[in-house]
Amino acid sequence: MLIGTVVGNVWATRKDPTLTGVRFLVVQPFTLDGKPSAETLVAADPLGAGIGERVLVVFGRAARHAIGKGHDVGFQCAVSAIVDKMELQDGRVIGPVAAQDDPAPARAT
Amino acid sequence: MFLGRVVGEVWATRKVGDLAGKRLLVVQPLDERREPGAPKVTPVVAADPLGADLGQRVIVAFGKAARVATLGMDGDFAFEAAIVGIVDELDAPLAPAHWNEEHDPVRGAP
Repeated sequence: MLIGTVVGNVWATRKDPTLTGVRFLVVQPFTLDGKPSAETLVAADPLGAGIGERVLVVFGRAARHAIGKGHDVGFQCAVSAIVDKMELQDGRVIGPVAAQDDPAPARAT
Repeated sequence: MFLGRVVGEVWATRKVGDLAGKRLLVVQPLDERREPGAPKVTPVVAADPLGADLGQRVIVAFGKAARVATLGMDGDFAFEAAIVGIVDELDAPLAPAHWNEEHDPVRGAP
């Protein structure tokens, strides 16, 4: 499982028939230094998350279960929760929307 | 499975039903290439049946192992990562020094 920010929607007409009616989001994983991750992932969304919202993404069997269409679904990545709040050990509180976060602390490295 | 350090906790109201009542912690993998205070790797969210504290080092398992560790059985549950152990002691002489600290040297004991 990982935390990410929804940065886009994806639509596909020609797709595996098991994916009919499934909504797809582009999600950018959260990193602790506040810089967006270089890679993105595509996740099915049964909950209705909007662009900019923080979500919890699950993989594999957990994702197929979260999609709610049985086990034989041609997808392996899904949104399983929309984040209200995340409290980090360094004292930062990360909210549901990336734009409202506390800034990452400047640390001596 | 990997070794990581608990760096945060997550709350969500809108979620798939079987995440209800699960404590979700943010775990930063201990990665040899990183120095303390320079996190680069994407942190993992894991269910926590053991009650780990912020800053503690934990062992995280994925997939069936995670479901069995959290619920005592495998099945259709919407999570696939769980804390399966809280590290008491780690002896890894060649690892970066902060791996061997019981609590995060950046923040100290919670």
